[in-house]
Amino acid sequence: MILVYVEDSADELSAQALTFARRLGEEVQAVLIGPGARDQAAALGAHGVSNAHVAEDPRLDAFAPAAWAQAIATLVAQRRPTAVIAPGSDRGNEVLAHVAARLDEPLSANTTALTLGSPASVTRVRWGGSLLEEAQLAGSPLLATVAPHAVAAETVDGGQAATETFDPSLSDADLRTRVSERVGEAAGGVSLADADVVVSGGRGVGSAEGFAVVEELAALLGAAVGCSRAVTMAGWRPHTDQVGQTGTKIAPEIYIACGISGATQHMAGCKGAKHLLAINPDAEASIFASADYAVIGDLHEVLPAISAEIRRAQGA
Amino acid sequence: MVSALVLAVCLAASATLFTRRVVTLVGLIRAGKPVDRSGEVGARVRNEATIVLGQRKLLQRLGPGLMHAFIFWGFLILAPTILMALIGAVDKHATLPWLGHQGWFALLVDIFCVLVLGGVLAALWIRKVQRPRRFDGSHLGEADLILALIATIVTTLLFWHASRIALGINDWPRSWSPVSHLLSHLFGRDGATRVLERGFVWAHVLTILSFLVYLPYSKHLHIATAAFNVFFSRTRARGRLEPLRFDDEDVPEDELRFGAGTAADLTWKEILDSFSCTECGRCQDACPAFATGKLLSPKLVIMGLRDQVFSGDREAALVPGAVPEESVWDCVTCGACVQVCPVNIEHIDHIVDLRRHLVMVESSFPSEAEPMLRDIERSSNPWGHPQSERAQWAADLGVTILEPGDPAPEYLYWVGCASSFDERARVTAEATAKLLQRAGVDFAMLGPREACTGDPARRIGNEYVFQAFAQQNIETLNEAGVRKIIANCPHCFNTLANEYPDFGGHYEVVHHSELLARLVAEGRLAPTRQEGLQITYHDSCYLARHNDVLAAPRELIDAVGEPVEMARSGKQTFCCGAGGAHMWMEERGTPINAERVREAAATGAGTLAVACPFCTVMLDDGVQSEGAQLRVVDVATLLAEATEPAAAPE
Repeated sequence: MILVYVEDSADELSAQALTFARRLGEEVQAVLIGPGARDQAAALGAHGVSNAHVAEDPRLDAFAPAAWAQAIATLVAQRRPTAVIAPGSDRGNEVLAHVAARLDEPLSANTTALTLGSPASVTRVRWGGSLLEEAQLAGSPLLATVAPHAVAAETVDGGQAATETFDPSLSDADLRTRVSERVGEAAGGVSLADADVVVSGGRGVGSAEGFAVVEELAALLGAAVGCSRAVTMAGWRPHTDQVGQTGTKIAPEIYIACGISGATQHMAGCKGAKHLLAINPDAEASIFASADYAVIGDLHEVLPAISAEIRRAQGA
Repeated sequence: MVSALVLAVCLAASATLFTRRVVTLVGLIRAGKPVDRSGEVGARVRNEATIVLGQRKLLQRLGPGLMHAFIFWGFLILAPTILMALIGAVDKHATLPWLGHQGWFALLVDIFCVLVLGGVLAALWIRKVQRPRRFDGSHLGEADLILALIATIVTTLLFWHASRIALGINDWPRSWSPVSHLLSHLFGRDGATRVLERGFVWAHVLTILSFLVYLPYSKHLHIATAAFNVFFSRTRARGRLEPLRFDDEDVPEDELRFGAGTAADLTWKEILDSFSCTECGRCQDACPAFATGKLLSPKLVIMGLRDQVFSGDREAALVPGAVPEESVWDCVTCGACVQVCPVNIEHIDHIVDLRRHLVMVESSFPSEAEPMLRDIERSSNPWGHPQSERAQWAADLGVTILEPGDPAPEYLYWVGCASSFDERARVTAEATAKLLQRAGVDFAMLGPREACTGDPARRIGNEYVFQAFAQQNIETLNEAGVRKIIANCPHCFNTLANEYPDFGGHYEVVHHSELLARLVAEGRLAPTRQEGLQITYHDSCYLARHNDVLAAPRELIDAVGEPVEMARSGKQTFCCGAGGAHMWMEERGTPINAERVREAAATGAGTLAVACPFCTVMLDDGVQSEGAQLRVVDVATLLAEATEPAAAPE
């Protein structure tokens, strides 16, 4: 039997982990922890789960990695699965690492393929995705987290999963680390790290006041405002706005770099951008080597023109 | 007989107090962690002769240097007079055999008494009138007491001699003692003088004994420790850091260290360093971080560590107790402090050891440096570029890329990450490769098999990552049969030449400026000198100061234009601000690069030549932020332009 830790019945990575587990050819059971676990359990039948185990303890309502791992370890002792599989999410990796430590068994993280056996053979992602490692995995049970998008999630025609509850037998020590409070992100403004569009200014902006044109365009596009190191060094913008090696690394859909020469230190922070539009009066600027779209010109003329055009289109 | 007894008691008392303190100090030093400073005895004796006896490093500042040298040499010359005074205190008609009767020695004594007094007065003038900033944070009161003691010792000696001449009981021909003779006219030939003569000799002897006892309890401890500290200091390759041996099973548990977290982690040399500091502040004066308003003062780092060692507390954290955390990260490892220290304190070792503990044990370091460490580990370069793009700059140049199994070329061209990936530094790599091809040098490069040398990781304190990359690179180089390496980057150069030998990598490493200068001298490259092209050369710390490469880049500049020196040049160079992993850290306050660019602009030259990719980037940034009219360019690029003007990139 394969036991799968499911974060949420609607969670994409958990669905991928379930598909991954089903392909191993053994019966698949699931374990759910946390608020709403009981209500979601039955729906896992659509993922081929025969039995869904729900940990019953109100202290598990808030995320507590060691306590959740203890719940899984308790279930493992009772049911003796061949393998425990978890999604390769932050939470899945963290919980299963604690399970591995408790059971004193090895864990294969970010696994893309697993063949049962003793030892089992695994393929896993290493070095930030640049390397696939073939390895052998021994352990009873085998422990693995599934690399995100290693398999596509598929559903099956199945009935409802049988829901069973169990006592996770927690001690106070298991609850030392837990989520005690959630604080929402400060309202207003778009976070630089997550923004789909970022408009950045460099030394070419000329002054702190000069950023008005950058801010204007950013506001029209719903974009975040960024800047280069030269700008923070000059004191025109705070360091929190800095894009680069020593600032924020960003990966927006569109990056608009204005008056930025494209030093290595800056490009290291924005190389994740899908599309790069560079505006710079110097045709030799190194940023043009990486740009998808280039405007050779003064940002103080180009940006207001773009903003005016957007306004006209919006007004129309 | 009574006087002999009194003297014996005084001697015994002072010797006991002195010995007790020395035993304590030696115990503290011996409790330090091991570090190998054996071998190279010839070089150590040479250092002793030039730095201690010759006062070479003190004389780098002529005024204060002469002040100290007169006092120091005075004490050496006057040493036998201590014995003479001890004998004279017991029996006024006795003295040292032979030497006590020599006129020339009496003359030397007179001369050096005056020089020492002059030195003391100069010292007081420096401290009370000039009050240089280098003394900020030093214990000034203690110094006053020491100077007073020295003045008393010399004055009582002169007056003792003078009173003996007046009484006619001088053991040497008085015509040899111009000063004492002159002073003797103050005294008559009477009972009062006889009493005074006894008074002077006893005052002299007792002051010397007090000085001897006070010395090891005060900051003037350096009189006892400096000679040892110089002897055990680095003999060569000042840019090499001491390796940590954490993977070596032969290292006993109690000798294992991950840098310095508490006083118990310091090496014996680091403790000896701290005991040798006189708080003169020359390091603070030379420090680019201090000069640009950062918190770091190398002097206060050493003083803080010394106070922690003396406190006997081997549990308390050194950071932030003894040294503020900010200071630890301010350092650019330029070595100006080490270069200037008259007693060869090795400040960089202390600071890197503090960093090692913070990074490897506490995992506490400037967060902006995290991507650099991660990118080195993941992508083998600090900017996270794909390794496959490492040789892209040379795509059209036809440079051989060494594949496994290929025969080794004469030279391996070690390009380095900056010159491989940075737009501004790539220009240098291109110029170097073209020049080598033009001169017919047999060379090849590793391409994607070249990885970061680990220098930035090592300088920020991550010895694990450094050693992993050192081993990997050495394996690659040894397998390829490489014996000679050309390095573009002074940081790679320093690591390859001075640090890889500790891990089994022994190569003959040259900086590109050295090889290019040789090719010009041999006539294999023939640049055209452009009259009126004024070029000022910025020495890279890791080239000039850490590795003594001063002449070659200057020869190249002289071959293409007119050199103009900056005020701080050669080994007295001023950092660009990138060393010690600062290329990947944020700088607080006045930028170091701006300060250096202002200095370069003041020469009036239109070209600022460099020989380091980090200096290229930092100074070019500085030129832009300062709006200076300077072209920042590597010596290799200048040479390439002068060799084939038609192909100049301008």
